[in-house]
Amino acid sequence: MAINVKVVERPIEETSYVRATLKGMANTLKHLVGGHRVTTQYPEQRESISRRWRGTHRMLTTEDGKAKCVACGLCPTVCPANCIKLVPGEDEQGNRYPLVFDIDEFRCIFCGYCQEVCPEEAIHLGRHYENAEFNREGFIYDLERLMAQTHPVTEMWDPADPKGE
Amino acid sequence: MTAPMVNLTIEGRPVAVPPGTNLVEAAKQAGVLIPHYCYHPGLPVAGVCRMCLVEVEKSPKLAPACATAVAEGQVVHVHSEKAREARKGVLEMLLINHPLDCPICDQSGECELQDYTYQEGRADSRYREPKRFNPVEDFGGDVMYVPNRCILCTRCVRFMDDVAKDTVLNVTERGDRAHIGKFEGKDLTHPWAANVVDLCPVGALLSKDFLNKARAWELDRTASVCTGCSQGCNIIVETRDNVVMRFRPRSNEAVNEFFMCDHGRMNYRGLNRRDRLEVPTILGPRGHEAVDWEVAIDAAVRVLKGKRAYVLASPNCSNETLHLLSRLVKKTNGVGSFRVDQGIEAPLPGVTDLALRADRAANGRGAELVGFTRNETPLAGLQAGDALIIADHALSRADLEMAGRASAVIVLSSTMPAGLARADVVLPTCTVVEEEGSFTNLRGRVQRFLQAKAAPGLARPGWYVLADVLQAMGESTAFFLARDVFQDLATSNPAFAGLSYDQLGLRGLPIAGQAAGVAS
Repeated sequence: MAINVKVVERPIEETSYVRATLKGMANTLKHLVGGHRVTTQYPEQRESISRRWRGTHRMLTTEDGKAKCVACGLCPTVCPANCIKLVPGEDEQGNRYPLVFDIDEFRCIFCGYCQEVCPEEAIHLGRHYENAEFNREGFIYDLERLMAQTHPVTEMWDPADPKGE
Repeated sequence: MTAPMVNLTIEGRPVAVPPGTNLVEAAKQAGVLIPHYCYHPGLPVAGVCRMCLVEVEKSPKLAPACATAVAEGQVVHVHSEKAREARKGVLEMLLINHPLDCPICDQSGECELQDYTYQEGRADSRYREPKRFNPVEDFGGDVMYVPNRCILCTRCVRFMDDVAKDTVLNVTERGDRAHIGKFEGKDLTHPWAANVVDLCPVGALLSKDFLNKARAWELDRTASVCTGCSQGCNIIVETRDNVVMRFRPRSNEAVNEFFMCDHGRMNYRGLNRRDRLEVPTILGPRGHEAVDWEVAIDAAVRVLKGKRAYVLASPNCSNETLHLLSRLVKKTNGVGSFRVDQGIEAPLPGVTDLALRADRAANGRGAELVGFTRNETPLAGLQAGDALIIADHALSRADLEMAGRASAVIVLSSTMPAGLARADVVLPTCTVVEEEGSFTNLRGRVQRFLQAKAAPGLARPGWYVLADVLQAMGESTAFFLARDVFQDLATSNPAFAGLSYDQLGLRGLPIAGQAAGVAS
């Protein structure tokens, strides 16, 4: 038994696809000749990223080129991904400093706790996203490499200025 | 105690204590911690830090709890507005010249100044002037002094004067220039001097050995007993990532009160040795071959068959291991003997019956109780045809010569005895921090120690290996835990009768026939 299907009769102006096709082509042509472009021509062009962007780390240094880190051990303690390896030592002047300071950037979840907890404002996350290496070991950043990074550092969220203005 | 108890109320909690008790101790019994720096139960009262100020009803002004004796009907408020305000002021004064160097201070995480400031101190400082600065000083021994962090509680001075009775430290200068100084030509070389590091409530006195090695919050702590001498001081083993970082004393009034000696403290190094025995081996045609435990146990039983077991057991073996060794000796009609290394006795005069003993081993008494004989030349009785079992015992040159007489050698040790020419079977065992067990100290006090770290490789506790060996020789030794072995010891040896792990707790009990507490 056939099912009763309700057939609506519509005028030809509505059912013809010619009008819709022309409308679509017009839109395409408008983008072809107009100035509106979405694609960024990377790497010639760069998107600007937020000041609070959290990327790979950077260790800040003092004026005489030493790491600011005093090896207090707070960042490996607070790190939820357990990606920081720290061995404290003592230099000739009796100052505490890190003998080993390795960050496994593969394990890192870029939460920014290490930057937030650091009492010396030494370890920072960076406004940086171009990370490519030829081997996996390259992603374990040692102290020398962290100090050699030059990209701008992340700004922490300030509760007094929640929108960053 | 026959004297009537004194009833008082602390923070609304009624408590009854013996007369003469001070308020800090009374409050501890009521479950209230009164903040304090200069007071320490093991030292004479000084009342210099003013941190323990509490409000006592009907008293005109705040009272220092450490120097106030309890009185009948006293009502004490520790956390009242007035008391808190006073202590806040004390903390602000203490922090005037205290540097904010917690990130590089070794004490941070176990610092009482940090704790109390966090609990009831000001959030910020009103002090704008430059802070006093004095350079770090070497106090000799294992101690260094950071004068900037010092709060002048004088615990260290009182420890050296009244407990160690070796006057080395004093308070030099007056007013805000005051700091801890050494007397001319003296150093902290007393064998118990490193206790001042534990006593220091802040990071002013630090251990040079532990400096910058670990943070307090990274350490795992386990109750144990020191193996440095026969005194059997109660200790806490602090480990990080399966490495022993340091020993600290654990209070036990019947043994060591609050202290331990420097010799015992430095003993932790031997427990981090890298040259440990990790797999059982047997001597085959191609030299030492690594084998499974089952094969090694069978080999040991084969070696022992028909021979007299001559057991050379270290007096640092646990009661459990020694008990099973003695069962092995009995079964084979063998001999058990040991030697105790000797050192210089160094008493701590301020504490009754506490000394670094001349016998530098933890369990010589326990070894004697299970039937081992103490002997300067422990291998003198070794005859040709005997099977020599070396249980963690170090070998002297004379021992090595005499060991050559044995027809077979079984090594049951954590490390290979130095100089040993051959070993038919090597059974790797745990060290004291890797197994559970008990020691008997020179006064006959049986004390338990717990496992602090994992053993390397396939090493097993000594009693575990011996239970397997005895089982393979036809004895019934169904032991699953160290406490089962101790139970067997308690039922078979009258000296240990009536003792069990549950009863021993972590403070230990004297063996049967020994007066409770410290023998004079």
